[in-house]
Amino acid sequence: MKYVAAMTFLALLALPGAARAQEEPKPEPAPQTPQPPQTVEERLDELDQKIRVLDRKNELDKEAAAEKAKTAGQAAAGKDGFSLKSADGNFVLKLRGYTHFDGRFFQSDDQRPATDTFTLRRVRPILEGTVYKIFDFRIMPDFGGGQTVLQDAYLEARFNPAFRVRAGKFKPPVGLERLQSATEILFVERAFPTNLVPNRDLGIQLSGDVAGGIATWAVGVFNGVPDGGSADGDTNDDKDYAARIFFQPFVTGTGPFKNLGFGVAGSTGKQEGTVAAPNLPSFRTPGQQTFFSYRSDGTAPNTVIASGDRTRLSPQAYLYTGPFGLLAEYVTSKQAVRRGTVERDLENRAWQVAASWVLSGGEPTYRSVNPKRFFDPAAGTWGAFEIAARYHKQEIDEAAFPFFANLASSASEAEAWAVGFNWYFNRNLRLMFDYEDTSFTGGSNVSDGGDREDEKIFFSRFQIAF
Amino acid sequence: MRTRFALPLLTLLLVAGPAAAQVKLLNVSYDPTRELYQDFNAAFARYWKAKSGQTVTVQQSHGGSGKQARSVIDGLEADVVTLALAYDVDAVANSGLIPKNWQTRLPNNSAPYTSTIVFLVRKGNPKKIRDWDDLTRPGVAVVTPNPKTSGGARWNYLAAWGYALRKFNNDPAKAQDFVKRIFKNVPVLDTGARGATVTFVERGIGDVLIAWENEALLSVKELGDKGEFQIVAPSLSILAEPPVAVVDKVAAKHKTVQVATAYLQYLYTPEGQEIAAKHYYRPRNKDVAAKYGQQFPKVTLFTIDEAFGGWTRAQKTHFADGGVFDQIYGAGL
Repeated sequence: MKYVAAMTFLALLALPGAARAQEEPKPEPAPQTPQPPQTVEERLDELDQKIRVLDRKNELDKEAAAEKAKTAGQAAAGKDGFSLKSADGNFVLKLRGYTHFDGRFFQSDDQRPATDTFTLRRVRPILEGTVYKIFDFRIMPDFGGGQTVLQDAYLEARFNPAFRVRAGKFKPPVGLERLQSATEILFVERAFPTNLVPNRDLGIQLSGDVAGGIATWAVGVFNGVPDGGSADGDTNDDKDYAARIFFQPFVTGTGPFKNLGFGVAGSTGKQEGTVAAPNLPSFRTPGQQTFFSYRSDGTAPNTVIASGDRTRLSPQAYLYTGPFGLLAEYVTSKQAVRRGTVERDLENRAWQVAASWVLSGGEPTYRSVNPKRFFDPAAGTWGAFEIAARYHKQEIDEAAFPFFANLASSASEAEAWAVGFNWYFNRNLRLMFDYEDTSFTGGSNVSDGGDREDEKIFFSRFQIAF
Repeated sequence: MRTRFALPLLTLLLVAGPAAAQVKLLNVSYDPTRELYQDFNAAFARYWKAKSGQTVTVQQSHGGSGKQARSVIDGLEADVVTLALAYDVDAVANSGLIPKNWQTRLPNNSAPYTSTIVFLVRKGNPKKIRDWDDLTRPGVAVVTPNPKTSGGARWNYLAAWGYALRKFNNDPAKAQDFVKRIFKNVPVLDTGARGATVTFVERGIGDVLIAWENEALLSVKELGDKGEFQIVAPSLSILAEPPVAVVDKVAAKHKTVQVATAYLQYLYTPEGQEIAAKHYYRPRNKDVAAKYGQQFPKVTLFTIDEAFGGWTRAQKTHFADGGVFDQIYGAGL
């Protein structure tokens, strides 16, 4: 076939009518050896050509490098972690994480001795990224306390800023302080309102920012978890519905109320428990000691279980202006419970007010302090310093006692005040020192005075986050 | 009820009316056609406005032909492609964006104009370049782009190969040695035809540029007053047939099939042919060809089908990875 084509080609060229040649092909010239430059001018011309060729090759190399850079992925390492990114930005993989190395030192714990300890409160590597421009994912296990827990695992589609869809395991949109990352909270431990809102749950959430963040909305359907709880599955067919609307009316401006935010969140659903799995919460102090739990001895007559409707409501607000920060929230959680054949709706409440003042080196925000100058003694910069104080309280429904909870072992009220000092070395390192005093109503035998001994605790935390 | 719908309807008409009268096309083309399509697009916009009332805006994208085809395959939403060689349009067709029979949809195998390959030399032709043999001489610096990335360069290469086949009585080994000697004289291998022109014309490198005829004529015209360059027509060259095609799937998505088809058909009209000729492309229309015949040097031309059995075979034999060009250029040149 190749031969036929070639012969046809030669035949076509040989046809007199087809030939439009002006010249016949010339005989092959004898190979010649290039003559070396003879004159100074010829030598200069030769050198000039060599330089031009080198310049042009350099130019082409730069063009090729620039072209390659347009399509090559980028690897980056910095204060926000480590990342790989495609040239068009549509595919991103980030490796992030944080660790909390805590110290807890209990003071005057004669009645209820607690162990002073160092602990790895959180050890959380984070794998997150983006595929096809609008689909984000995040996977965050936690190895804190020597246990492995999957905290976050979700996929989110960002169709536009006002409409996102998230599915998987994550924080339902209820508690203001709960929705802060653990790396952003003001004190080592969150306040009592967080005891009454869900921690992490499996579900689907729609959310969005409207008008540049002036309004933020979220609604979702979740398996449903007890107050303060997390779960990786459901124990009944009923689901919880959660919603939150939050306003930052001045967020698009530059005035003193730019970081003023307020809103309301809530959830509603049904929760049924069993003797083996009562599906009711117990509540902890800032020192992570249990101060309230429902009656339970493994028998049906003496074990309190969840028995129907659960409703939470939480008005919430914050203000960060200049060096000053203020966060306040109130949570009420109403749950139907049953012991034996006796049912009751119990309503527990908690609230907190936390204030902070950045002494130097940065400004507070809901998303923590971003130091203006990083810790560098040689340069005379020390990062940012912040002092903080808070007051918070949790009240258990009076109707819980004595039938559903034992006042000799469970307190009906816990109120606490705390002061703290935070040193932000840079965006990645932070040192925290807190002192917190929690007093109780009830929770102890009458012979011991009836009220549980105050919890006085000194906290320290070394946080590294990237 | 009437007034309830009247206002929205009026609003819809006010918004949709102007939108319908506006249409945009993207023409993804190869390197040296910038000036041609600037003029052609303006002429077509006038024609289409008069015919349909629509205002058409044609955006242009230019680069190495193979690279442009790859961009379209990878998602660049071209309504039409006007590339350097049929193989590149075939590549787009193989991706499913264009039917495989695209060459049959317009006259002349969908190539509305042709060109060929000539030599551009410096004033006075100091190295006395007259034909392909002279490019093999030691001491003659030849500028041509890389056939792996440039459609124009593939035409250059095949033109030299075709000459060598004739010269050596269809002996492929001797033809390969002949082309190898030419590439031994190439000091810089640009990625595209326009880049090679820059190397030769603006950077002052080399003694001869193997170029598209239209590119060479344009260079002579632009620098004509200075008389810095002149064209040498070899005794034998190749008939280059740059093809055009509507990218059906993209045009359907953009709802531009009708205007995109009209755009390419307009290339075949006397007006379109005249614009092509003014930009030194050889027109298909006989009357226009006769009118502009003087500006084109007379060269004996062969086609790629005659000498190589078509683009697919030429591509596989010469330019595929490990093909003849890789053997030539990877052999320690």
